Amino acid sequence: MKSPLQTIAPDVIMHPLKQPKPESAELSPEMKLVREALFKHVGKPIPRKEDGRLITGKGRFSDDFSLPGQTYAAIVRSPYPHARILGIDKSEALASEGVLLVLTGEDILADDIKPIPHNPVPSTNFDMKLRAKDGSHAFTGPHYLLPSDKARHVGEAVAIVVAETAAQAADGAEKVVIDWEELPYVTDTAKAAAPGAPTIWDEVPDNVFIDTTFGDKEGTDAAFARADHVVKAEFHIQRVTGVTMEPRSSLGSYDPETGRYTLYAGSGGAVRQKNELSKVLGIEPKDLRVLSFDVGGNFGTRNRVYVEFGLVLWASAKIGRPVKYTATRSESFLTDYQGRDLVTKVELAIRKDGKFLAMRADNLSNVGGRAVSLSPLSKGSGLITGSYDIPYATLRARAVFSNTMCTQAYRSSGRPEVTYAIERLVELAADQLGFDKLELRRMNLIPPSAMPYTNAVGSVYDSGEYEKNMDRALELSGWATFDARKAEAATRGKLLGRGFANYVESSIGTPKERAEIEIKDDGNIEVVIGTQPSGQGHETSFAQVVADMIQVPVEKVWIVLGDTDIVSVGGGSHSGRSMRHAGTVMAMASAGLLAEGRKRAAELLGSTADRIDFEGGVFKLRNSNRTIDIFELGRRTRESHGPLRVVKDNEMHTPVFPNGAAVCEVEIDRDTGHVQIVRYTTIDDVGRCINPLIVHGQTHGGIAQGVGQAMWELCAIDQNSGQPLAGSFMDYGLPRSDTMPSFKCEIAEVISPTNPLGIKAGGEGGTTPALATVVNAVVDALSEFGVKDIQMPVTPANVWRAMNSGRKAS
Amino acid sequence: MYATTYHKPKTLSEAVSLYENSEEPSYLSGGHTLIPTLKSRLAAPQHLIDVRAIPELSGIEVTADKVIIGSATKHAVVAASREIKAAIPALSGLAGSIGDVQVRHMGTIGGSTANNDPAADYPAAVLALDAVVHTDRRAIPAGDYFQGLYTTALEPGEILARVEFKIPEIAGYAKFRNPASRYSMAAAFVARHRDGHIRVAITGAGNEGVFRWTEAEERLTENLSAEALEGLTIDPSLMMGDMHAPADYRAHLVAVMTRRAVQNLGGTHIL
Ligand SMILES: Cc1cc2nc3c(=O)[nH]c(=O)nc-3n(C[C@H](O)[C@H](O)[C@H](O)COP(=O)(O)OP(=O)(O)OC[C@H]3O[C@@H](n4cnc5c(N)ncnc54)[C@H](O)[C@@H]3O)c2cc1C
Repeated sequence: MKSPLQTIAPDVIMHPLKQPKPESAELSPEMKLVREALFKHVGKPIPRKEDGRLITGKGRFSDDFSLPGQTYAAIVRSPYPHARILGIDKSEALASEGVLLVLTGEDILADDIKPIPHNPVPSTNFDMKLRAKDGSHAFTGPHYLLPSDKARHVGEAVAIVVAETAAQAADGAEKVVIDWEELPYVTDTAKAAAPGAPTIWDEVPDNVFIDTTFGDKEGTDAAFARADHVVKAEFHIQRVTGVTMEPRSSLGSYDPETGRYTLYAGSGGAVRQKNELSKVLGIEPKDLRVLSFDVGGNFGTRNRVYVEFGLVLWASAKIGRPVKYTATRSESFLTDYQGRDLVTKVELAIRKDGKFLAMRADNLSNVGGRAVSLSPLSKGSGLITGSYDIPYATLRARAVFSNTMCTQAYRSSGRPEVTYAIERLVELAADQLGFDKLELRRMNLIPPSAMPYTNAVGSVYDSGEYEKNMDRALELSGWATFDARKAEAATRGKLLGRGFANYVESSIGTPKERAEIEIKDDGNIEVVIGTQPSGQGHETSFAQVVADMIQVPVEKVWIVLGDTDIVSVGGGSHSGRSMRHAGTVMAMASAGLLAEGRKRAAELLGSTADRIDFEGGVFKLRNSNRTIDIFELGRRTRESHGPLRVVKDNEMHTPVFPNGAAVCEVEIDRDTGHVQIVRYTTIDDVGRCINPLIVHGQTHGGIAQGVGQAMWELCAIDQNSGQPLAGSFMDYGLPRSDTMPSFKCEIAEVISPTNPLGIKAGGEGGTTPALATVVNAVVDALSEFGVKDIQMPVTPANVWRAMNSGRKAS
Repeated sequence: MYATTYHKPKTLSEAVSLYENSEEPSYLSGGHTLIPTLKSRLAAPQHLIDVRAIPELSGIEVTADKVIIGSATKHAVVAASREIKAAIPALSGLAGSIGDVQVRHMGTIGGSTANNDPAADYPAAVLALDAVVHTDRRAIPAGDYFQGLYTTALEPGEILARVEFKIPEIAGYAKFRNPASRYSMAAAFVARHRDGHIRVAITGAGNEGVFRWTEAEERLTENLSAEALEGLTIDPSLMMGDMHAPADYRAHLVAVMTRRAVQNLGGTHIL
């Protein structure tokens, strides 16, 4: 199909993508081996190696670390959504018992501590290019560890107090006296972008710092003019937060003898923390060691640097003692990087027979007080047309500052938002125009014959069998027998509803990854890798890849991660990148290791490498009975050749597009509006699946997180005070085991042509369609009340209101 | 949490005298209301007097017409008691519906009744089951005991010792939980006493805490059935309103939950 991409106006930035060459086009002999690998362990549901350690309390989470002479930090936070700091009086705090140090934004400037270089604008060739309105590089708001001018959201750190004990630090923090000048504030997404809204940054008087239009405007306009029907909708995919089990924690220490800093802080990837924090402190990256071992949940919240991480390092150098800061759960609710918060206006142009002709979208992302990451806006921008063949589209993508905590990529960054928009819009179109909602989808799905498919905003979908996913999901869910269940539910006073959604998402992520593999003398294999699991089971699934390649039992393979003195390069874990990037580079490194092994074995056995076979972990001289086991080889050649070890770097740029479908059935209590999910079915094309047990587990978690947003979660803010209302579990609703049904999940493996292992990604696919699927089901259940749409979360109160008004709730 | 001194007296008199002779004291029972408050530095008692080792505050006694529960008795113990289940199944079901497993193994009936959280469960049972609250110094009828949000007839230093419930002819408890906190967002405890009189206590909803819904009682006195409540509504201006449930929705839920309590007499209905 012809890409409708053209430049339409000077201020419109075109997507640079043409047809990418698959990176696996030329395979080295060793990479062929990767391809041909026996896949002995890969694909098997091996139980997670790490679980024994984690459930017996042997995990090493950040707060588990303590250093001699350690001190404790407490943070003074802004009680106001927007207020100028006229002055800060430290004296009472400094006089408080045990207090050693108080630092403020003035000290940051005095010590020339730099802002965190978040680099919020995604910049790979495959990311949508987001710019300011005039096409220039956007102003994203410097993120100093402590501001010296004003606080831009409730909870913003404005001072750090360090004391001998945590309680003394908290006492001291209460005694820091700040002279505030309250300023007008705005927290609501649409209002922040409306004319006359209070200005958050003087550099961007109207708060809208990104305003870019993508796609073929003329083509889109023409298609809309031609269309028989136009269906419009507006949605707010509300603000939520990650709610990790482990609150963020950091322990910083400075060694004056070596001039080196050390930071223990769980994150989404230690290497990024090291690189960015060294810039903050104005030191060489080598002078900062970051350790991040077990991480109790991330979901995106921990991918970016937190101010407290820099603060403990800076403070530790100032007092010459280690400084620890661990957030309380309340601080986490207030100041963990939050997610979503997109207002989207969408329009679909449809031909009489139901064919989609064109789409328009206007997406407005609320980044909070400053831009930490534009990943959600960018990722979503490339996928506005979803799983459908929509020849023309234009998208206006805007980002706005507001007096709220910063947002960041949150599980499946940007994709659930746009999936929600297109899947709800298709549903509304079917309803308004009298189409069957499944047939309307089916008629417009991208067929496998069109793969690789370039969508109307330039994303190239690598592979997928979308209609097959749809059929399978419907079959598994018992779609055909719904009516009988609905009738039965009605006898119990329950309204049964069903919802369906297709999805396609993208996985790009940091392109570089390095693997180091060493054959240890003790009969183990050590793999050093720069991703950072927070529950994804890398220690198992990564070991499976290496075990397959080197043909040894998976128990012998140990994954080492999370210490920047050992792991020098690493893209971290986000965007579903880990298995694809790490799996590929580990396979390549394994292949390299075998090549080296063959060479050494040849020397030892008095032959040439091309006559050495390798099987079952043993090198064998062809047509002889002379063999040597890989561990023995390592031992015997260590002295002469050094350790049997290989370091491999790999870069992969081509994105992959996991896809699938989900079906949800809800039962609504007619009298109260209480919603219970009774069935949930998914099909996920993850490309090659390394460990189905782990992928299923990730899918289950992903579903719960998506369902959580649809049903309960909301970072509510009181419009009359700008104060966050959901400061604890008393008010922030989460999914629980007894509010989730038993899921029916199936994995589809359409091998991706973009990488040697054929991997796409797993884990985010559970989340991506969940919001739309649940809301579609709820709206379906409420159809007899004339309900067409409902705002998330679909809490009982919202459902009751919708039933009563038959209009859009709240 | 601010620094505080912990005491664990073994007798009632020791506890009371500790209280009277300390600066800013507070009794502590299961701690599942008080400790979170301390941890977020919203309260700063200088002395915590743990009442759980005082023998008079523990134990369950079931007689022909009464269930008497010591104030330090945990929710899980009430929920698991066969005698209570046989005597007042709705009461044991109520106890078993509080919070989660951890909360039920720490929180106590005395702490809950002394605290009088407007969303707590026990106050509904205390009021509907025409209970008497026994303290270290007197007996207070339920009708006089609850005095508004987080307020009771307990005087400073007075220790809640036991709660004495009347065994009703039949009772039912229906609760609609807050989707986030799982506390009650509207719940009704309906009891028909052996003398025939009906009590309907509503918790989680009223803007002055637990209360008796006398209109519902009147209707149910004539006819103890859900149909008797048909068309009966409660004034939303008497209700609490928050982000989870505006007042009109709470008023609606009160009516629904009262009907469901009647439909589930002899047990509970938890949504
Ligand atoms: C996560 C969570 C969920 C919960 N969910 C629910 C729920 O669904 N429903 C519900 O009803 N409750 C719920 N609770 C509250 C729980 O039941 C509390 O434990 C209870 O309300 C207080 O009892 P306590 O024994 O913990 O009292 P404490 O916290 O120790 O004390 C509470 C107050 O009572 C005073 N006090 C305690 N004992 C006495 C006494 N003998 N005499 C005089 N004063 C005394 C204390 O000084 C304090 O002011 C929940 C709590 C938590 C943490």
